[in-house]
Amino acid sequence: MGAPRTLATALLRYAIRVAPEASGEWAAAMLRELDFVEGDWAALIWALGSTTVILRDAASACRERLKGKTKEEVGMNNTGKKALGVGLGLFSALALVGCAFATLRISGLLFPGLEHSPWAYWLAVMIIPEAIFIIATIALWRKRGPVAAGILATGLMMALHVAVHFSMR
Amino acid sequence: MKLRLSPQTLMVLDAFLVQAEEWKYGYDLSRVTGLKSGTLYPILMRMAERKLLETEWEAGEPGKPPRHMYRFTPDGLRFARANAVGRSGAALEQVALGMVEG
Repeated sequence: MGAPRTLATALLRYAIRVAPEASGEWAAAMLRELDFVEGDWAALIWALGSTTVILRDAASACRERLKGKTKEEVGMNNTGKKALGVGLGLFSALALVGCAFATLRISGLLFPGLEHSPWAYWLAVMIIPEAIFIIATIALWRKRGPVAAGILATGLMMALHVAVHFSMR
Repeated sequence: MKLRLSPQTLMVLDAFLVQAEEWKYGYDLSRVTGLKSGTLYPILMRMAERKLLETEWEAGEPGKPPRHMYRFTPDGLRFARANAVGRSGAALEQVALGMVEG
């Protein structure tokens, strides 16, 4: 085997390694045909042409990946975004409840006796946050559905908690 | 069924039309059409992608890797024949026009 043919084979073997999965079969086919090409220089020309095809295909596949155009990737992105949205909604709602508790505590320190008032408690920790959750859910439902779902879930959990609390008494 | 019918693609279609039912190899097609691998294979890949061509690996001698073969699908054969008829019709028309003008 002459040097040009050896180089041709090495070139095509390299091309096969970088070939995208979809065109791997074609790259293997081009390498196999190399055995039938008559003449070492003709083999090198065959390999150069084949390598160009494979590399062009690999570059095209890489571009597609970078653009995130494949349907699976789009699906995965959407799922991730939705999960993040729901998480953000839950976190925001719980942070609001935490702030309500903190406000009630500070108010209790500033105005002794207020903390022990059941009305102040229910108003600060339950009624106002629930009202905010309902308004936020309605406002965000169309444009930020997952966030709204997260907020709604927190609101429902709190309402359930209250229902269980009353039923136990 | 979109396939850009460049002169090179037409050459490949014509090469496949000769004994259309037989499997053909890449290098043989390259020799018949005079196309280099860099031109021939993208055409074959596009044709296979559009289901005009079926591909298969030929089990050769033991210890030797198989060889890739190509053949028209029924759709591919219809497509190629329709194009060949269209072209010959256009060629006849040109000859006729030439005779009238001449």
